[in-house]
Amino acid sequence: MKNGLILFFGVFLALALSWAGLLLAAQQQLGSLGQFKDPVEETINPQPMSGVAHEGLLVYQDLGCVTCHTQQVRREGFGADLARKWGTRGGYARDYIRDQTVLFGSSRLGPDLRNAGSADLHAGVDAEYFYRLLYAPQSVAPGTNMPAYPFLFDVHPTAGRQPSDYAVKITGKAAPPAGYEVVPTARARELVAYLLSLKDTYDYPIEKSRNAPAETPKEGGH
Amino acid sequence: MTDSAHNDRTEQMEIDASAKWPVLVFFASALFWLLLGGALQLIAAIQLHTPAFLSDCAWFTHGRIAPAAQNALVYGWGMNAAFAFGLWLMARLSATTLRHGGWLFVAAKFWNLGITLGVLGILGGYSTSFELLEMPRFVTLILLAAYALIGAWAVTTFSIRNTENVFASQWYLFGAAFWFPWLYAVAQLMLFHTPVRGVLQPIVNAWYVHGLYGLWFIPIALAAAYYFLPKILGKPVSNYYFAPRAFWWLVVTTAFAGGSRLIGAPVPVWIPTVGTVANFLLLVPVVIIALNLFGTFAGRYRALGGSVTLRFMLVSMVGFILASVCNFALSLHAVAEIAQFTLFAVLRDWLVFYACFSTAMFGAAYFILPRLTEREWRSPALVRAHVSATILGVVLLTVGLAAAGWQQGQLLNNGTVAFGEITRAMTFWFAWQSVVLGLLLIGHLAFLINFIWIASPINSRGTAHAEFRNPPDLSLPEAAPEGHA
Repeated sequence: MKNGLILFFGVFLALALSWAGLLLAAQQQLGSLGQFKDPVEETINPQPMSGVAHEGLLVYQDLGCVTCHTQQVRREGFGADLARKWGTRGGYARDYIRDQTVLFGSSRLGPDLRNAGSADLHAGVDAEYFYRLLYAPQSVAPGTNMPAYPFLFDVHPTAGRQPSDYAVKITGKAAPPAGYEVVPTARARELVAYLLSLKDTYDYPIEKSRNAPAETPKEGGH
Repeated sequence: MTDSAHNDRTEQMEIDASAKWPVLVFFASALFWLLLGGALQLIAAIQLHTPAFLSDCAWFTHGRIAPAAQNALVYGWGMNAAFAFGLWLMARLSATTLRHGGWLFVAAKFWNLGITLGVLGILGGYSTSFELLEMPRFVTLILLAAYALIGAWAVTTFSIRNTENVFASQWYLFGAAFWFPWLYAVAQLMLFHTPVRGVLQPIVNAWYVHGLYGLWFIPIALAAAYYFLPKILGKPVSNYYFAPRAFWWLVVTTAFAGGSRLIGAPVPVWIPTVGTVANFLLLVPVVIIALNLFGTFAGRYRALGGSVTLRFMLVSMVGFILASVCNFALSLHAVAEIAQFTLFAVLRDWLVFYACFSTAMFGAAYFILPRLTEREWRSPALVRAHVSATILGVVLLTVGLAAAGWQQGQLLNNGTVAFGEITRAMTFWFAWQSVVLGLLLIGHLAFLINFIWIASPINSRGTAHAEFRNPPDLSLPEAAPEGHA
């Protein structure tokens, strides 16, 4: 190889081919994936994300939650995601069109969060639970190595002011001193709204049939 | 010494003199980030077994420190070191001086300004959370503009070459010089400027991450291996005629392999499948490159004792093989099912970036810097400390992450094991990781001290008789008889 021009074209083609073959082809296939209207229930799925949940997604990005949490549920038979109650089914590409930023994540130092807000899967999970988890992780998940996020909360004395509607009840070691209350900041409320919005409950008929295992052919069939 | 050999030496010294200050500036910046990134990485690792460590301050929460460390290491240390080494080698192999080096200072200033703003941006809460693209959007243009200068210098130096043949190292450097800006610009456009929707975002991200490791860091490391082995051992690259095939095969397959990071993810199945196939095909160039490099080494292992550079290059080559094996293993469904989201996956990228690339840069620095400064390494003890810490660290972290990742994956795939149990089982390995990262940091510190001694303009010349030895008087590799590619 002596010719610089040939080298340049080779170098260019190698990457251009993979760009066209992977990214452009995927864009062709999925770029216009839309919501699905259920003909019977007349619901639009996936439902768009609320404004406050979207703000929460920005907090999720800024705090780098994706460092330890994935948001992708693997199908039945590939890992134990369903057994761990991280979802009721494997994820579909269509589930993600509601998210302005899609963060699959690549590390499960913490549990998967794709269905963190699903009350069907996680009994007793509500805003209060997430506030406690964020303020004092050990109080709800003993043994976890999740860091606390005290900077998402205001701890102030209750004397001389009306108690806050949002005050979080923290008991045990992490409880604030008597006469103080722990109030989530706006950022904490947005983040929790986002977490509670995470649930892929609807099962799309098209994707469902495509992902179902093939039926065994009937006797005498082709 | 014959006349032509004498001319070669003079020419090399002229080239070295022209490259001296740009290379020193890039290496100095690289070392700054190596230490800073290493410290941040150590903090992030400690937080995994002691979660309360520095967690009260938003700037130091784990989710920000970990990506900040990764970006400081990849763009700060990795890219700066690659610039220093790449520019120098391009000038040497093209047998031409590095002209108008002053512009490279401007580029270095802006590049490091961009990284500084980017890392501060991540710590301050402006992270985008896309792997290796976490730095806030406003640094993109600074980085691309700075890179444009650096890349242009490398390519220009190549195009005014005074040599007949083009050596393997030059293909890899030339290719990498183009791939990085294309990958980076395309990823920025498709993720932030005119963002694609839904799961296309992680696909673009995977393509970029895989490309950055496979089409920037690996080629730079291979350029170093193809250059230093024949140079120091004084023999031609074995089976060199295979090398061009390995080059093309490697780049085409690596470019398509990014999808293998998305096995089991909610993307069309053909994307990870293409990645798996590409990783399968990638075994061919890996075998050829191993034949080239280890074949050159064969029978000359004694030379290891006399050259620090060779020792680092051997680690780098072993790192390359391990990284390829690890990458291949993770693209197999059966392995991915267990190891995909665990510390084992961390190992894949760490092997490329540290075991293969960073060690190659250390080796290059031990070769280049004494020649540029015309001094010797002041403290052989610190050199030995650096070598030993690196070798020990690479072995311990490879074993640790592989064992830990496998255990973690099996526990994760057992639905009856509570999540807290997994964390508890991993605590030992998290501590292990902290210890090894600390050990590597000590090695880097030893390197930094020696670097300051050798690079500081006000210092008297080194006194210790260290490892610096003139290479055997041999023609440059591009003039070597096997170099007709």
